[in-house]
Amino acid sequence: MLKKVYISLGVSVVLFPLFLLLILSFGKQWSYPHIIPKEFSLVHWISVFQLNSTLPITILKSLVISLSVATIVTAVSFFSAKHVSYSVHRKKWLFLAYIPYVCSPVIFAATLQFYFTYTDLSGTMLGIIIAQLFITYPFGVIIFSNFWNDNIKSIEQLSTTLGSSPVQTFQKVVFPLSKSVLLLCFFQVFLISWFEYGLTTLIGVGKVKTLTISVFQYIQEANLFLAALASCLLVIPPMLLLFINKRFVFTNQQIG
Amino acid sequence: MKQTRQIAILYKVIFVCLTVVPVMAGLIYALLYSFGIIGIMNNGFTGKYWIAVLLSDMFWVSLGYSLYIALVSITISLVFALSISLFIKKRNITISYLFYIPLCFPAVVMAFYSFQLWSKSGWISRIIYQIGGIKEISSFPDLTNDTLGFSIVFTSVLMIVPFFTILFSNLYHSEKLHELKKVAQNLGASSFQILIKITIPVLLKRSWFTICLFIIFVMSSYEIPLLLGKQNPQMISVLTMQKLQRFNLNDIPQAYTIASLYVMITIFVLTLLSIGGIKKRFITKRRAYA
Repeated sequence: MLKKVYISLGVSVVLFPLFLLLILSFGKQWSYPHIIPKEFSLVHWISVFQLNSTLPITILKSLVISLSVATIVTAVSFFSAKHVSYSVHRKKWLFLAYIPYVCSPVIFAATLQFYFTYTDLSGTMLGIIIAQLFITYPFGVIIFSNFWNDNIKSIEQLSTTLGSSPVQTFQKVVFPLSKSVLLLCFFQVFLISWFEYGLTTLIGVGKVKTLTISVFQYIQEANLFLAALASCLLVIPPMLLLFINKRFVFTNQQIG
Repeated sequence: MKQTRQIAILYKVIFVCLTVVPVMAGLIYALLYSFGIIGIMNNGFTGKYWIAVLLSDMFWVSLGYSLYIALVSITISLVFALSISLFIKKRNITISYLFYIPLCFPAVVMAFYSFQLWSKSGWISRIIYQIGGIKEISSFPDLTNDTLGFSIVFTSVLMIVPFFTILFSNLYHSEKLHELKKVAQNLGASSFQILIKITIPVLLKRSWFTICLFIIFVMSSYEIPLLLGKQNPQMISVLTMQKLQRFNLNDIPQAYTIASLYVMITIFVLTLLSIGGIKKRFITKRRAYA
């Protein structure tokens, strides 16, 4: 009985933020001391699907940035991590990877801002993608460094000994084994990029508006209904990724 | 063979270009600016900005406040995460799903949610008003933008607890704590002794490095204190950005001084952690050989 009470309490704590944000995103007027908004309206949600609204473009921009960063980082850091992990100085390489990973992204961006302004990358989507690569690539290397272990090395060597070429070893042996870690890295990097605010604001100098920046702008304008709507839009893609991850990747792993 | 070596060198060059070069380039620029060698208002080498920052309360108070927020948040989060993970124990797909949901919330959304919950006109205040706990809105205490950082800690805890709960639950199984507990029980240990002398020490020891990383992460957080923090004291990232974005150009070298100091402190702490890790591994290996 007590266990059920605790579980219900846990469920409420976890789901309440989503509930409150959804309620507010449909709200129109929320005067004190009403617990829920006095009036509800679909007007904010309809604006998301209108072409003259700025929100669809903002969502598209955020998606392009996050998908680009996630794809590049997953592809490049996968192979970089292999050479780092098999190196004699593995620990020293990984220590170097931890520095940008641990540094405050906004302070890191502040120290790099000059170079982006100098190369005219400041205020461009390309600039934001490059800046985000600096914080997500080391993260990718750290994730993959656990995958490239002695076991994988032995399997690779066995495959080569049995006569397969490096391309065949990768295609038929390493790639199938690495599918889940590749997906994990892609999802995680997508989330870091999708959630990024400080670095994106500094390098984007207000010219590139992502969804996270929009949430902040709406909050500063005290437009809590639009802020709640933008927050919901920010949370939906990660939830979908979580569902895909849990439903397919996790289930496949369990079956495997 | 030669081609393989060339590919290895290429990927190591990419690694250096994407990790070492940006950090070094940023640090060099910040140091040059802070010592007056480059920058709009600077005329040549000077140590006055460093002296100003190091002798002022502002930097140390900010650093101390960031550390206080990080330590309080992590301590509370660890207590909750340990309690929940030990309460769940058995792997349950639905519950594990549940703890992944808060990880889908970015810091800015969580901060916004906390503001809507704890501000004077927030949801909690409205509930208390409805049940007659307060007579007017001003009677509700300042729980956002307050000196103690209540809402910053609350938001950080909300974001950290799910991560550590998942980590501890996984460690509970990977470290085979259930079997260890059975052995201890057979040897006559009480449930409390097992908890204090086996379960908690094993979980904390195995996650020590992650806990230290999270202390640095919380200290570096920007969006949460920007929305929920006070003008004074400020957390270190907010202080740096405010000094950098102010109209007073004389504040910019000080901002770069703080940024340089913070990056160097982070590298120093990481070095200590990695040395500690290597030493610990060395001792463990030596014990294994003995």
